[in-house]
Amino acid sequence: MLTVIDSDAGAARVREAAAERRRLVERVKQLLVDRLDTCVEAAMIADDESLFGRGLELDSIDTLELVVAVHEEFGVEVTDDNTEALLSVNHLTDHIAAKRGEPA
Amino acid sequence: MSAAVFARQDSKLEADDLRDVLPHRPPFLLLDRVTHLEPGVYAAGIRNVSVAEPWFAGHFPDSFVLPGVLVIESLAQLAGVVLAAPDAIGARGSRGYLASVRAFKFVQPVRPGDQLLLEAHAGASVNGITDFTVSARAGEHVVATGRIAIAHAEQGEQGEEET
Repeated sequence: MLTVIDSDAGAARVREAAAERRRLVERVKQLLVDRLDTCVEAAMIADDESLFGRGLELDSIDTLELVVAVHEEFGVEVTDDNTEALLSVNHLTDHIAAKRGEPA
Repeated sequence: MSAAVFARQDSKLEADDLRDVLPHRPPFLLLDRVTHLEPGVYAAGIRNVSVAEPWFAGHFPDSFVLPGVLVIESLAQLAGVVLAAPDAIGARGSRGYLASVRAFKFVQPVRPGDQLLLEAHAGASVNGITDFTVSARAGEHVVATGRIAIAHAEQGEQGEEET
């Protein structure tokens, strides 16, 4: 907090950004549950849980389905150049947030 | 895989050309002609359904209906042509394997004498697997729609069921 005067507005912006991020994370988790046969509830998925191997145990075909779903839901592409976006919910959320923030 | 058949300008492939593009052979080459090809992106093709095909002996003895899985197979072979073209994602020498079948609808039965007009649109592609939205029409009527995924493995590599 820089000054007493700015702190309220600044804190509000930080809270709003955090809430926005939270909503995006929840949408990503819901997408995983809705579009893949994960057999878990969205609330059971941790933000940093690995989507592959141990974790959600998605396979390569699930990967493709997730890429298709992310494009349909968010208009954001994942390609062979940025597959690190598929490591966890946090990674995917970062990728979506970054791509949506870019000018069209 | 012969690059020669792709070098022609008309973007059409006859059955003789398809022998150079796909590993399939009769009676399991289930694509008669490719009428339009955009490598890596899209293809349209034709399959003429004949009562002489071997599966009609059992499917069914009292009424000839083309098995829906063989409509999927035709569409998978067409998708294989999209990926087999030299400048497509699944570069030369790769072979396509059917990796997933999703959201398929068989709207009406296909019978001997029908000409299937097949289309395959490539979509997302990641980790060597490409998504395709596919459809088959008989005349004006849509007979099947759905999505398939094709894994393109190098020749000799272990893969799932061949397309």
